[in-house]
Amino acid sequence: MSVEKVKKPGTHMGKVRLVLWYVVAIAGSLIMLLPFVWMISTSLKTENEIFTVPIRWLPTQFTIQNYIKALEVVPILKCMLNTVIIAVPKIIGEVFVSALVAFGFARFEFKGRNVMFMIMLATMMLPYEVTMIPTFMAWSTLGFADSYVPLVLPAFCGSASFIFFLRMYFETVPRDYEEAAWIDGASNMRVFRMVFLPLAKPALITICLWSFMGTWNDLLGQLIYIDSQEKYTIQLALASFSSMTGETLWGPLMAASFMALIPVLVLLLYAQKYFMEGVKMGGIKG
Amino acid sequence: MRKITGKRMSAIMRRLVSLGLAAVLFATLLTGCGKGSKDKNTFTFATWAAGTELQEFQAIIDKVNEEANGEFKIEVLSIPSDYYVKISTKIAAKTCPDFFWLTQELISKYAQMGALADLTEQFQNSENLTPDMYYEGVISSARYAGSYWGLPWIANPIIVYYNKDMFDEFNVPYPAADDDWTWEEFLDICREFSGKEYRGNKVYGTVIDGWPNIETFIWAGGGDIIAPDGETIILNSPEAKKGMGYLQTIVSEGLSPRYAEVASLGDNNVWYEKQRVAMYFGGMQDNFEKKVAEMDESERFEIGYAPMPVCDDGGAWSFDWTASTVMAKSLEGDELAYKALEAVTQAFFEWKIAPPVKGSLENVVKINPQKEAAMDTIAYTMDYARSAYYIPEWSDINDKLWYNLYVSLLNDAEFDYEGKMDEIQTYSEGLVKDRK
Amino acid sequence: MREKRQRAGFYFVLPWLIGLCVFTALPMLAAVYIGMTDWDIVGNASFVGFDNYIKLFQEEAFVRSLWVTIRYAVLAVPLIIATSLAIAVLVSRNNRGVGVFRVIYYMPAIVSGVAVAIVFKWILDPSYGLLNGVLSFFHIQGPDWLYDPAWVLPSYLIMAVWGAGGGLLTYLAALKDIPEDLYGAAMIDGANTFQKVRYITVPLMTPIIFYNLVLGIIGAFRKFTDAYVLGGAGKEGNFYMVYLYEEAFGHYRMGYATALAWVLFVIILLLTFVVNWTKKYWVYSE
Repeated sequence: MSVEKVKKPGTHMGKVRLVLWYVVAIAGSLIMLLPFVWMISTSLKTENEIFTVPIRWLPTQFTIQNYIKALEVVPILKCMLNTVIIAVPKIIGEVFVSALVAFGFARFEFKGRNVMFMIMLATMMLPYEVTMIPTFMAWSTLGFADSYVPLVLPAFCGSASFIFFLRMYFETVPRDYEEAAWIDGASNMRVFRMVFLPLAKPALITICLWSFMGTWNDLLGQLIYIDSQEKYTIQLALASFSSMTGETLWGPLMAASFMALIPVLVLLLYAQKYFMEGVKMGGIKG
Repeated sequence: MRKITGKRMSAIMRRLVSLGLAAVLFATLLTGCGKGSKDKNTFTFATWAAGTELQEFQAIIDKVNEEANGEFKIEVLSIPSDYYVKISTKIAAKTCPDFFWLTQELISKYAQMGALADLTEQFQNSENLTPDMYYEGVISSARYAGSYWGLPWIANPIIVYYNKDMFDEFNVPYPAADDDWTWEEFLDICREFSGKEYRGNKVYGTVIDGWPNIETFIWAGGGDIIAPDGETIILNSPEAKKGMGYLQTIVSEGLSPRYAEVASLGDNNVWYEKQRVAMYFGGMQDNFEKKVAEMDESERFEIGYAPMPVCDDGGAWSFDWTASTVMAKSLEGDELAYKALEAVTQAFFEWKIAPPVKGSLENVVKINPQKEAAMDTIAYTMDYARSAYYIPEWSDINDKLWYNLYVSLLNDAEFDYEGKMDEIQTYSEGLVKDRK
Repeated sequence: MREKRQRAGFYFVLPWLIGLCVFTALPMLAAVYIGMTDWDIVGNASFVGFDNYIKLFQEEAFVRSLWVTIRYAVLAVPLIIATSLAIAVLVSRNNRGVGVFRVIYYMPAIVSGVAVAIVFKWILDPSYGLLNGVLSFFHIQGPDWLYDPAWVLPSYLIMAVWGAGGGLLTYLAALKDIPEDLYGAAMIDGANTFQKVRYITVPLMTPIIFYNLVLGIIGAFRKFTDAYVLGGAGKEGNFYMVYLYEEAFGHYRMGYATALAWVLFVIILLLTFVVNWTKKYWVYSE
């Protein structure tokens, strides 16, 4: 086989295989999309059409009433903005500090490192439900009731799962990289900033997304700490569509859920090209 | 080689700390920091109302505040999800809302745990709202261990909604709107419909899927779970077993769609709305009238109303779902707080169906004019409907009744429900004996 | 000199360490104490020593929910890893439109558990659900899924596989780091796709697989949201965390629930130790 014919994965595929690839990818996508299709279709249905037998996948008459109603019931846009206000400082803290800590765990062999790392993993293993009340009591004693502070501040000490992930990532970077930098007289911080952060760009963008989604989809934490309706987040807004003595507004709920999904989708679409971009460090590794 | 020195590292740390502080300041500014100490005449009211319901709730509170003319002020705290998680967490952190809603089955529990103010004294001596103004079946749900712990604000007893068009089609005479009928008669009517075809669909007499609650059946035979003394477990009585026998009949004869089938329409009430069952046990509050009015011409039907079939002992026969507003323990004896609580409770009587106080039936039509046709049945039912007797151990007993008895029977008509009831009797007695 | 440099790592992990002491350790210590009381959240607590732990092992419900959870974890964890690895390989190709597919496959991870649960309630409906509809198209009588105790676990596995795309980002970030010349070399040696995946992709992905394995175990044992919403016949959907949550907030036995949480903690910790110990046999490192 001649060298020219050598195929890199994902570049030139045979025609047949390409078609096959699309068939598989599209089939899988359809399955993944089902719930979303259902959500959107329900949001466009009139109330009487929502529960039918057999399930109707497309409304016979489209209506945007549910969207109008949803915006009437709760100020969805304001709630989204509130969530962003929590999410942005949280992302900055969580991502930057987690990277810093992961760098420490991955590239240095200080005393107690492995024990500390195990302790860090262990902190992920105790269910939040049983530490929630003591934590709430502490914040509330400090006067942070009905405030975003308890939701944001802990992010500035990193997040265990992000640190774990980034550590994995940093560990695969060849030693010669920082050795070379050190010989050039760079400080550790400089190595971190100039070498590791750029290298980890796809990973960092990944955890930015996770951090954002973590905030966007968190209900219990926000429910416990937030009292005022002016401070409501998107999940609290979504929860407002059903209650014990009121009726569940299915149509508006689905409409609101879909609206809540849009920012995440946009972010995901924007970020996806970076997931694979990665610095081609493999070339140097070889 | 440059090494990282403590000095350099501390510079980094300084930057980080200042970044963190900036975030705190940022967040604090946004939230307006922790609230200052609260005024003595301001009360927080926690509610599970959310969305549209919350808007109505807020309007009521605004009106009450206005009428109070500065004497007190009520602030709303809406908890749109996991209501009791947040309530209990707040109580644990000593930030208990001054007033909050509790459903009937939790009143004894919260009272026993010492979270509630005893209202007996103020309630009995009030000039505006006293216990005897309530229907006895409702007020008993706010009573535990000889004291009153809350003011009921809603009563939602079960009545039978039926489909008049369907009855006509199969030539079945309607049940009376305000007279007794027996469970045997109810089952006979179910048999007229079950398995037949109507408007191209297989239909059933009624739909049972865990709703109505198990009390409905246990009472049907003249039995009960907990005796009126609020202590003795009487689940293993022959009457209670006979009542469960009615449920067994419904399952074994297929008078209701299969348990696994019910959820396919989203919820049990949809079976009635889509004309798949002839009769439906619904809360008085259910707004089928509105739903039917909004349907396409071809899908509408005429709604009929009947009270619940009478229990074999002729006693009260409609389960009444109630909820009360309770007051934080710390406010026990507080005159102003009680005044506010009373004012807001009375305002609720014009809001929800049905008001739990006697002589307020005309409010029902004011609240929802579409209920006009149901008034005979509602009036008749309100006099007899009642909540169950609850004890602090209820959540455990209820778990067993639901998973080990009700669902088991729904899934398998051959299930030995009598044996299971004996077993749960023993279990429940054990719980009561172990109470602290 | 070198040792001193290694010590600098400690400063990098310091932010996390501070967070541990301030935000994590105190609630955890509180939880140790709560686990030895009969606290009911609302009222007072009295010290009961190890009573909760003794009681727990005598409870049938504890054993059952643990058994449900273990069976789920044993099947779901490898299933999720295999599926998401397969998806990652599929969408790592640079074909036209691949970005859209990446987003679609990742979408299950961006919606909250409650929304997923509601939709799956419809998909798995015995009479009119989509899944049984498809099966009946092939003249197969579908089972009652969540209403049949024997089919509850498979139902949850289906949901887990559907959500497997959630791990996609981690694999994608890692996949790109595999040096392309390695594939080239394999090509010259005449390796087929399967061999390339087996001998190049998988070994180089092992650090990320390890990461997903550890988090997968934690996630499986802490499965809650969809199970809480959907339940399952014969209490087969009563996962450990559902049981714990019910005990804590349904029956107000926070002391007992906290003891349950510590037992779960120890189980996950032991499993992580085991997995970590096997690391040296299968995880590729520099």
